[in-house]
Amino acid sequence: MASHRVLPGQPISVPPNAPAPQLGGGIYVRDSQLRASLVGEVQQEGPTLSISRVRPRPPAINSVVLGSVTRLSPLQATISISVVDGVPLPAGEEFTGVIRSQDVRATEKDRVKIADSFRGGDVVRGVVISLGDARSYFLTTALNNLGVIFAMSEAGKVMVPVSWKEMRCPETGRLEKRKCAKPE
Amino acid sequence: MSLDRRRINGPDESFPPVFALDGLQGTLASPRKDRSPTDIRPIFLQPGLISQANGSAYIETAKTKIACAVYGPRQSRNAAYSETGRLNVEVKFTPFSCARRRAPMRDAEDRSIAVAIHQALVSSVRLDLLPKSTIDIFITIIESDGLDGCVASGSVAASAALADAGIELLGLVTSCAAAIVGRDIWLDPTEGEARFSNGTLVLACMPALKKITSVWQTGEMQVTEALGCMDACQEKCTEIHSVVAQALLESPSLK
Repeated sequence: MASHRVLPGQPISVPPNAPAPQLGGGIYVRDSQLRASLVGEVQQEGPTLSISRVRPRPPAINSVVLGSVTRLSPLQATISISVVDGVPLPAGEEFTGVIRSQDVRATEKDRVKIADSFRGGDVVRGVVISLGDARSYFLTTALNNLGVIFAMSEAGKVMVPVSWKEMRCPETGRLEKRKCAKPE
Repeated sequence: MSLDRRRINGPDESFPPVFALDGLQGTLASPRKDRSPTDIRPIFLQPGLISQANGSAYIETAKTKIACAVYGPRQSRNAAYSETGRLNVEVKFTPFSCARRRAPMRDAEDRSIAVAIHQALVSSVRLDLLPKSTIDIFITIIESDGLDGCVASGSVAASAALADAGIELLGLVTSCAAAIVGRDIWLDPTEGEARFSNGTLVLACMPALKKITSVWQTGEMQVTEALGCMDACQEKCTEIHSVVAQALLESPSLK
């Protein structure tokens, strides 16, 4: 596919006898005509046509998000989402997410204690499971690679994970409980 | 006019200095002096001038100068859950934008322009992809030469700014105004021309899809005249579309 810039509304031509391509971001179909909806270059990866613009976007279902814990209650932890799918959001335009206690981990869901999983200020990696209610997106950390990725100890030092549910302070050596993300 | 106590208020009443007769007084020169009735004023359009905005555009058509900034999509505050996104358009006049000073407060005129621009844009934005989010469009009219021109240029600038912001659009919106002066159709009327016209019409469309997004008509107009205006505007919109396309294709902010 020739790589030149297209504009919103511009028809995108495909070879007449080629199989219909799958649509990625930035492309839509109207009256069986493929058209661009973003300014950019059309890229083809396998069967998928897309126009990519690396721009901050709101979370969608299955987005991987990073955020910091702003509020804890026995039922849920509130997260201020600052990175969506690896793209940081502009300062002051964070989205609000909520991790309910049943979404913290996959096993023993009814024994989860939010206070033993997160603390205020922790940076958490989560996945959006639902657009949630008017106020917040619902997130889950019920996968090995999801959970707390950065936390400070009570002594104010950056802690290191020692198991999936504990982190150690390098200064005092004390263990604190967190739902840790498995380091990559 | 209510008083804004947070600002240094000028005298209650002030009047602009009186100069020799210009276009606003007396009668209009008919036929049109400086351009033919079907000509529009030259357009300068530059996307991406406001660095802190997500997307922006500046448009200048002779004495009409408009800056437009797009922020978002951001999370809707104090609003019920909605499956589709919202488009929020705000229009502000600078105090020095018109012949007579405008107090820096929102009034009915700002809002009617904002509503007209919202109408022109809303069907071009793919709001179904942005649940629970709001896109804010702030339009500052730096200098105004006729409301119809402001609505038309504001819509063009806002659409270019949305494209600059990387928000998914069905197509670029362009817009053109027309006025009935005597029996003739004058495209892109200035303030003076609009004042002496029987009626004006602003048409917004997506030339790429051949769809009209909004028609805004004021004053008195025969049906045939209105249809003639719409045809003439649609033709000009196609030309304006190539100006917008050129500006976006050459814009360095979209690299």
